[in-house]
Amino acid sequence: METATAKLRNTPLLFVLIAGMGMVLGGGCAGETLHGEAHEGEMVFYGETSRIRGLDPVKAGDVASAHAIARIYEGLYEYHYLDRPYRVVPLLAEDMPEVSEDGLRYTIRIRRGLYFQDDPCFVDREGVGRELTADDFIYAIKRVADVKNASTGWWAFNDRIVGLNEFREASTADAPTDYDLDVEGLQALDPHTLQITLTRPYPQLLWILTMHYAYAVSREAVEYYGEDFVNNPVGTGPYVLKSWRRNYRIEFVRNPKWEETGRVEYYPSSGAPDDEAFGLLEDAGKPIPFVDRVIQYVVQDPSTQWLMFLRGQFESSGISRDNWDVVITEERELTEELEAMGVQLLTSPTMTIFYFGFNMEDPVVGQSDDPEIDRRNRKLRQAMAHAINTDEWIRFFNHRVTRPTGPIPEGMTGYREGEIPYPYDLGRARELMAEAGYPEGRDPETGRRLQLTLEIGSPESPDMRQQMELFADFMTRIGIVIRPSYNNWPAFLEKIARGQAQMFTLGWVADYPDAENFLQLFYGPNRSPGPNHTQYRNKEFDRLYEKVRVMQDSPERTALYQRMADIVIEDSPWIFSTTPLAYGLFHSWLENFKRHDFPYGMGKYYKIDADRRREWLREYGR
Amino acid sequence: MKRSENNKRGNGGATPSSRDASGGQSLWADAWGRLKRNRLAMFCLVVVILYTAIALYGEGVYRWHQWRDITPSYHRTNLEAQYMPPSFVRSPFAVEGDGDMTYRERMQTGFRELRRHPLGTDGLGRDVLQRLVQGTRIAYMVGIVTSLIAIPIGVLLGCLAGYFGGRVDDFIVWLYSTFASIPGLLFILAIAMVVGQGLLGVYLGIGLTMWVGLCRLIRGEVIKHKEQPYVTAAYALGLGHFRIIFRHILPNVFHVVLVSFTLFFPAAVGTEVFLSFLGIGVEGEPSWGIMISNARLRLWHGVWWEMAAATAALFFIVLAFNLLGDALRDALDPRLRTGKQ
Repeated sequence: METATAKLRNTPLLFVLIAGMGMVLGGGCAGETLHGEAHEGEMVFYGETSRIRGLDPVKAGDVASAHAIARIYEGLYEYHYLDRPYRVVPLLAEDMPEVSEDGLRYTIRIRRGLYFQDDPCFVDREGVGRELTADDFIYAIKRVADVKNASTGWWAFNDRIVGLNEFREASTADAPTDYDLDVEGLQALDPHTLQITLTRPYPQLLWILTMHYAYAVSREAVEYYGEDFVNNPVGTGPYVLKSWRRNYRIEFVRNPKWEETGRVEYYPSSGAPDDEAFGLLEDAGKPIPFVDRVIQYVVQDPSTQWLMFLRGQFESSGISRDNWDVVITEERELTEELEAMGVQLLTSPTMTIFYFGFNMEDPVVGQSDDPEIDRRNRKLRQAMAHAINTDEWIRFFNHRVTRPTGPIPEGMTGYREGEIPYPYDLGRARELMAEAGYPEGRDPETGRRLQLTLEIGSPESPDMRQQMELFADFMTRIGIVIRPSYNNWPAFLEKIARGQAQMFTLGWVADYPDAENFLQLFYGPNRSPGPNHTQYRNKEFDRLYEKVRVMQDSPERTALYQRMADIVIEDSPWIFSTTPLAYGLFHSWLENFKRHDFPYGMGKYYKIDADRRREWLREYGR
Repeated sequence: MKRSENNKRGNGGATPSSRDASGGQSLWADAWGRLKRNRLAMFCLVVVILYTAIALYGEGVYRWHQWRDITPSYHRTNLEAQYMPPSFVRSPFAVEGDGDMTYRERMQTGFRELRRHPLGTDGLGRDVLQRLVQGTRIAYMVGIVTSLIAIPIGVLLGCLAGYFGGRVDDFIVWLYSTFASIPGLLFILAIAMVVGQGLLGVYLGIGLTMWVGLCRLIRGEVIKHKEQPYVTAAYALGLGHFRIIFRHILPNVFHVVLVSFTLFFPAAVGTEVFLSFLGIGVEGEPSWGIMISNARLRLWHGVWWEMAAATAALFFIVLAFNLLGDALRDALDPRLRTGKQ
């Protein structure tokens, strides 16, 4: 539903590997000796980050910004840190919402005695942070709806909340948007009770309320700082921004307001079955955050990142494709060297699917009203899916990926177990090519091989380029010539949004752990500039989608999800390329570290053993 | 002294009739004679010719595959053979004999094996040597096409500005100053945005930025020549402006073009490699820049051959062209000649 496609959601591979793995909150820094910043007894977390674009919860759309924002701001709900499958627990809300019988009215009670950090923007109170109220959430959601903010999160609320679309309409006027305008679906029954009225049932609302688009924002701050609000965050969260030098370094310190006002949050006391064994529950029930300061550096180059991690300057690191061999043995374990250094390895699949998308309106590869052409083009797409040599493909990624088994990733209900839908089978692929009208891969009309153009974003990444060259070579084996067309990221998104790409490669990172989030990518009315970039349309699928999206979780809904996935697999608007496995490394002094698909704000649970780090640095830090 | 030098030039390059009359050596023959005596320059010339031959071979290979509509082997991946080192560091004994092979047979198989991938393979198991040859092709394409764009523009505008002076000169000087004031890389990026990424963008980007230097030089030379007696004579004979510019003056300043070309060519190649390295240049073809960019990821693991091969190829072509260009300038510049002899 979103227009300006959030980068968070379509992150190019490189970013995901570096930033999205969740490992990456952080890293580190050249130990105390280099920076000499840690005071005695202070716990400092050193991390690495990508470029942070801004700290406005409404405007941010990239992973790095989302991480930074989630340290400072908070929402009504958050994901449980340890529990799997994922579930939502109250954060600023008192408890889970009361949902009316028809699923349209959510009444949420907000905790009392929570305060914004002290900031000059609270002019009336001489800079002392005021108490959080329901209006702060209403204001935040209105800001997402305000056209003038060009929020990347409008898709989350579009056509969901009664009166919000009218508010958006009104905000298109030239005059400054009037935030006093009443939105019927967003009401503060009293300062600590928020009532949200939906236009139709939207069971995913809870997931949405954990995202940074719904974080509490103080109106004073936005009005006081104006354009500069992106640089001056004012939140209720565990940390406040201490200093920020764009593209270089960002530092957060513990929010003093918590102690002042007696706010205490606790580490969860229950988790997934294995958590106890991994020592993740040792701090159960203790007050958080543990870390006093978080210092992150922007390091773009994977080799530099890696070397800094090896020297103990970052607490954690992903593993880039080219470091793989020296980090991981063939048995998928850490090399002895690293093991001896006490480095620890964490592996799990991510809720991400990378795919090659077809433009379903393209005469050569797309759908058609003529059933014969439609059938042939579908065979062509299926043939291409069969031509991907899974072994080589996975080996190219150094086994850091798996092939998705359909449009629903592992960890969500509706996930299809077993074989990938179109296994590598050159014979079958060539057969399908012949049936599609390209015997021996040649177009009988011209006698030449079929040529398809593949649009690619992020040309500067050699990884991406080699990946595309390998894909192109797979396709030449069934006689298709892939012409790569490299674009910069905005131009790429533009082409896709206009439906001008014949084929393209992209990934989708789950916004929330519900298959609906992936299935919406195939819903006809979501076509470009919406998230359905392939312009795929299927009446049966659309009908089912309209049915499931208002259903609460149930076995019946899961069955429908699976049926929808089967339709998509049969029609093949995507070639399911890869699901990255998150392999993360972290040093022995980083405690309470668990991989999370939605890791925003989870830094408050991490803990640093400063003594162990100091010892380690003496031994290995050179 | 100055006079005789002028005569010499006038005789040498300009009018065929006068050359016949004087019976002396032409400028070009003279320069060639001097160039021949410079051993380093001759060596560089051989290197350049070698590169040219490789580029032509690469073009042939490319065309042949285009014509047959098949995928050339330098695009074909083979993950079984990824990161194979160059043959001169591989052991011929690495091949496992199947037991009943004699020592001789094993040696033969081993050495036959070494003939494959003499410069090793890259991360997708493609032959580095073949990609290097294709990179040479791309480099030459870029060098030549950009020269074909930049040199005519530079020469034409330089001649016009120098010869006519006044308003024309003002305008052209303004034009090239404007071009020169735009940072080259930004300009190339902007052009690549307009025409789309790929070889065309590289051609236009480099070609349209690099004419400025040549234009300046030509303008200066033409201004010098404009006052020469042979030009005055031609004017007195009632010849048209353009005839004077292109038939009389241009041949006398043409050595500047030649020298510029030899210096321009490696600069264009270097820029192309740089652009491709940054990912805004050539796409879908194995350019040296792309090879270097791909190779840098694995460099610290000891996979040095792809990087080394592409860098060395670039290094030697740039060096050879530059040395040759210097030698050519020496050979063609009469003032230096008199100094030396």
